[in-house]
Amino acid sequence: MSIAIAAGVLVAGAVYLFSRREMLRVILGFVLLSHAVNLIIIAAGGTDRRDEPIGGDLDPSLVADPLPQAFVLTAIVIAFAITIVMLVLAVTGRHDDDMSQPPQRDSEPGTQASQPTREQGGTS
Amino acid sequence: MLIALSVLIVFLTALAAPVLGRYVGRAAGWPLAGALLAVAAIIASASSGGVREETLAWMPTLGVELSLRLDGLSLVFALLVLVIGAVVLAYSAGYLPHGRHSSFYGLMTLFAAAMLLLVLADDVVVLFVAWEATTLCSFFLIARSGAGGREPAIRTLLVTVLGGLALLSAAVVMAVGVGSTRISTILADGIWAEDAAFTATVAALLGIAAFTKSAQFPFQAWLPDSMVAITPVSAYLHAAAMVKAGIYLLFRFSPALAGVPLWSSLLVTAGLITAALGSIAALKRHDLKELLAYSTISQLGFLVAMIGVGTPEALAAAIVHTIAHALFKSSLFLAVGVIDHTVGTRDIRKLGGVGARMPVTATITILAAASMAGIPPLLGFVSKESLLDAFWEAPGAAWLGPMLAILIAVFAVFTFAYCARLVIGAFSSTADHPDSATPLQEASPLLWLPVALPAVAGLVLGLVPGALDGLVSGAATAASGTTVDKHLSLWHGVTPALILSVLVITAGVLMAVGRRRVDAVLQPLHWPWSGLAVVDSVRAGTERLGAWVGGLTATTSPRRHLLIPILCLLGLALAAGMGGLDLAERVTGPSTALDWGLLVLVLAGVAGAVASRTRITAVVVIGVVGFAITAWFYSLGAADVAMTQLLVEILTVVVMVLLLRRLPRTFAKQTRRGAIVPALIAVGAGIATTAAVMALTGRRSLSNAGDYYVREGESETGGANIVNTILVDFRALDTLGELTVLGIAGLTIVILLRVRRELDDRQPEPPIDRSQALADALANSVFTRTLTRLVGPLTVLLSVILLLRGHQEPGGGFIAALMGGAGFALLYLAAPTDDVARLRQPFLVLIGAGVLVATVTGLLGYLNGSFLATLHLYVGSLHLTSALLFDIGVYLAVIGVVLAAMNLLGLPRTPRPPLAEDATPAPAQPTEEEVARS
Repeated sequence: MSIAIAAGVLVAGAVYLFSRREMLRVILGFVLLSHAVNLIIIAAGGTDRRDEPIGGDLDPSLVADPLPQAFVLTAIVIAFAITIVMLVLAVTGRHDDDMSQPPQRDSEPGTQASQPTREQGGTS
Repeated sequence: MLIALSVLIVFLTALAAPVLGRYVGRAAGWPLAGALLAVAAIIASASSGGVREETLAWMPTLGVELSLRLDGLSLVFALLVLVIGAVVLAYSAGYLPHGRHSSFYGLMTLFAAAMLLLVLADDVVVLFVAWEATTLCSFFLIARSGAGGREPAIRTLLVTVLGGLALLSAAVVMAVGVGSTRISTILADGIWAEDAAFTATVAALLGIAAFTKSAQFPFQAWLPDSMVAITPVSAYLHAAAMVKAGIYLLFRFSPALAGVPLWSSLLVTAGLITAALGSIAALKRHDLKELLAYSTISQLGFLVAMIGVGTPEALAAAIVHTIAHALFKSSLFLAVGVIDHTVGTRDIRKLGGVGARMPVTATITILAAASMAGIPPLLGFVSKESLLDAFWEAPGAAWLGPMLAILIAVFAVFTFAYCARLVIGAFSSTADHPDSATPLQEASPLLWLPVALPAVAGLVLGLVPGALDGLVSGAATAASGTTVDKHLSLWHGVTPALILSVLVITAGVLMAVGRRRVDAVLQPLHWPWSGLAVVDSVRAGTERLGAWVGGLTATTSPRRHLLIPILCLLGLALAAGMGGLDLAERVTGPSTALDWGLLVLVLAGVAGAVASRTRITAVVVIGVVGFAITAWFYSLGAADVAMTQLLVEILTVVVMVLLLRRLPRTFAKQTRRGAIVPALIAVGAGIATTAAVMALTGRRSLSNAGDYYVREGESETGGANIVNTILVDFRALDTLGELTVLGIAGLTIVILLRVRRELDDRQPEPPIDRSQALADALANSVFTRTLTRLVGPLTVLLSVILLLRGHQEPGGGFIAALMGGAGFALLYLAAPTDDVARLRQPFLVLIGAGVLVATVTGLLGYLNGSFLATLHLYVGSLHLTSALLFDIGVYLAVIGVVLAAMNLLGLPRTPRPPLAEDATPAPAQPTEEEVARS
């Protein structure tokens, strides 16, 4: 119950942050979203058995499911790497991380800016 | 294995062809032609033993096999593909300019190979693959004919790919309906008679597929369009390859579909319309090659209509005409190529008088054209007689057959007229020919010999048509499903067909005589629309539609891209909730007090992160959530996960703080109104998540996989830490993939920073009174440095311990590397100046080494049976496994990424002036502040 609510709160926070103008807030939204997803994956293994899966003679009725834990462990590290990549995107380029500004035509080499931009900010 | 072998030989020839074409030049056509003829001989000998089936395993999990089947029908088409292919290749050896021809010979031979596979396939999937291969070959062959070939090639591709999709759909419908992809099984199934909807669907889909390939109305436009290709390509395309694939498909499924009303009406109607369109259009052409292209369309129309009639006699007649058409059409195309090659034009208004100076070419052309016109004693006459006969006898209403036969006869008059137009236009000396002054010579025998072969064959087979009895009967038997014994003869009494033939020839001669008057009537006629324009407008429309659909979300703002999928997910959740779910009982116990406490922390953290107005607050507050989650993982029995989360949390905050100085301090102000819609979406997503987690988790005991790991983990791997054994033993391949992702992320960071400009620092150096102790960074960092001297080595030591013990106790490569990274972060923070902090670790080398070590460990696994299998080594009582080596790879890669972030993000790229000068107090010069105070 509490984990379900926590996941819901985290997702709500993440989605709200996604709608903001600043890249940093979107990144924080992703941080919250990965917390939510990790909790859900662990919850999928069951939250009634909470013994650590370490040792030889484990009682399957008490021990936590190790498989979701392994998934989540790697997911955390990968999410960390992705967070850094997004942060680098936020602090490079011609503008600060406010994404409501249309990109410049003569932008940096390697950045795509030829797309026609629509008037933005309708929902924000 | 003779059939498989012959297909293999042709494919190998196709592999060798580019090499030959490159080094031997145009003469490569001869050996390639020889190879095709040899395969034709193999197939002919293999067919003597009746129907032959061969099956090779291909996709066993899908039940799809590389099934090949050689029956009478396949034999006829295989021989056409190979023999006409050989003729065209031999002709190319004399036709092409000197030089390299690797792509031409490669594609042509590949085309032949694909066609051969197509006509021998006994599996709808194999058939489809071969079908698409012919589409692609023709696309490239047309496209390589220069700048003018681009648009026709694209149009051809679009039309024929549409047919390919129809064939794929038909294949899926048949495979699902019958439960097998084997064509012989499908054809023998009872479903055709039982399920009318199935039969009608397949008939329509196969019809569309064949119509696109064989240029039938309404898909006929691509064929004349593709005339931009060079002569050998056109000849092959029209005579034996591409367009004959559609005809073959219709024959192949005739046993199941002949007599089905939809099939018959579709084929007969499309065939007749096409025959009319093609023959009238051919009469209007001045370009000989175009004239031939339209004649192909009209001849194919005859064939399709004939197959639509579907009686055994009709199918036999269609087979004869297929053979006759292949012979005269290849010969005509190649002959026109000779004329074009020699005279330099194909326009009948400029040609003329060529006949006298090119007697051999003229004779060949006249022979082939006479066959097409249906003049005795050529094979074209025999086949046209059979067609008229079979149409006359068509089943259905009594008036239907004669009416069809008379219609065909009318189109045959047009056929005769355009054949006359071709011959007279090219060779008559009465034509106006301004270029006649140029001396013309007969082409070399190397060029005309291949052209003569099919034309002469048409004459010989016309005189002794009985020679084809075996082939035709076998093919008609296969195509009709009943035993057919066809006896062809030049003269078979006075029949309606013969009377029609006489009328056709008479009317044809009249039209040829009055050709100027016919021309005067026909030339002003124009179709109200052109097929090409339709194809082009469909194409432009599709592109516009794509642009419009893309435009709906075409924004550089990531917000929409993020919110649209979330809205879709919400819709899905709503639909699932409305539909109701069949759920098991919950087994999870109630939440503990700690859970509720952590929930409050999460709530506070999220609220703070959402509400914070400055960047630094948001970053700090979100840490609260991270630490709450860490504690939660720990309480849920996930010690490893908790440690990972804790370290990542620390490192994330460090990296974020490094970057914050480049961004504005506060977030932009936002209006309340603008926040309402996102807030509603967010609350909806949150509620959906909570409901989904409640509904879908906690309803079962330990999963089977988890149970296995828990019971067998230690005895299987020698590791007590089950989570770690999953990472490095059981699911090491996953982990290897994740390492690679991490490595790519590291590379991405490096590349992004290299190609994009970093933002300038927003926060200037704080104004510090240089005379105060606070300005001396070296002195100020003394505590941290002292602490680091102690904690730094300890962290490194701890990191190594965590790595080594990971298999047995909480730890492992991921955690150890993050711990090491935290140590380096500490070193960075403790440094008094940017320069001292300038860590120069070879992070890319570390990342690469990590992935390499893990991969090599995986390869070592082959010693124990498979990739990434764990090796065990016992040294005394010490149990070593290769999992540790793998974990070291993990360690190196992860620490490489962490160091890349620290090294690249922490410091400005241009070094500042060294601190020594900066820090030197300058008492002689009072600062502005002091001046003001005094």
